[in-house]
Amino acid sequence: MPTPYDSIGQSGLQFFGKVSASISHELKNVLAIINENAGLLEDLTFAAQRGSAIDPERLNRTAQNFLKQIHRADEILKNMSRFAHSVDQFNLQVNLHELAGLVANLAGRPAAMRKVILEMAVPQEPATLTTNPFLLENLIWLCLDFAIAATSAGGTLSLTPERTDSGICLHIAGIDKLAEAFPGQMPEGYDDISAALGASLVPDFSKNALTLRLA
Amino acid sequence: MSEKILLIDDEQDFLSVMSERMEARNIQVSTASSAKEGLEKVAAGSFDAVILDLMMPEMDGIETLRILKEKNPDLAVILLTGHATIKQGIEAMKLGALDLMEKPADLSLLAEKIKEAHVKKMIIIEKKNEEMIKEILATKGW
Repeated sequence: MPTPYDSIGQSGLQFFGKVSASISHELKNVLAIINENAGLLEDLTFAAQRGSAIDPERLNRTAQNFLKQIHRADEILKNMSRFAHSVDQFNLQVNLHELAGLVANLAGRPAAMRKVILEMAVPQEPATLTTNPFLLENLIWLCLDFAIAATSAGGTLSLTPERTDSGICLHIAGIDKLAEAFPGQMPEGYDDISAALGASLVPDFSKNALTLRLA
Repeated sequence: MSEKILLIDDEQDFLSVMSERMEARNIQVSTASSAKEGLEKVAAGSFDAVILDLMMPEMDGIETLRILKEKNPDLAVILLTGHATIKQGIEAMKLGALDLMEKPADLSLLAEKIKEAHVKKMIIIEKKNEEMIKEILATKGW
């Protein structure tokens, strides 16, 4: 008997895996910096035991480094927690600005790997819709995956949710190689998820932008 | 003579604290925050070892390793990674990496590897010098 979890599908599992791998990599980087700062404190302690003076400013800098990385890890884990809970309910009213912002944060590392910056704009009016939150996250992830790959290094992608008379949409602008890549290079899984959500992607080649029409 | 290394990592905070700790251990450290900058520094200088992050923007560690080893087959390269797959580990070793270590790394172990690389480099230099002297002796008539 089919269950709501069937909607996650192969693409959903791959999405979950990619996000988890990216988060674990980010956290390892945070731990590496914390580890070296802890090691530095050990080095300073060892030197002090042998009679060297400890510079209070040096200690303060190390404490600031710890705080910076703890804050960074906290942000990563908050995003991870919100992402993990997105499979709790399969039909929910969501705020598109918040949901797309979460996906943009999760895609921050893949974007940084290609030297692309993701910017989230606040909509003029709240853009809410009732949908399957995990599927919508997956769909926006796939759109961003495509947009990042079709944007030159150093480029900026701006994401703008909008409520229009005909429904809710998400504009993704700044895709400078859109004409070459769309629609041939859309990632696997996009067609199935957009069909399941009744969504469509409309290109505007003159503006290097895509509009994801949702409801 | 102290060891001379190049650290390549896109995490500026990591480069900064790692350099400070290594310098405290009498290791001369140069840093680069991208693969491109790292390749330029390797071309311009001489290092006992390169410590290279596996995941970096634009060019990843495996590709950087490939270029480094093509240009300097004797260069010791140690890869550091947040999390490597078995496939990446095998690829790195096939390309001639000295080691692949997971972050957070054990600095004492890393320092040992650097010393090992320094000794190997000295042996290679001595061997090359010996060969050069032998060649000179064989070709010159005096």
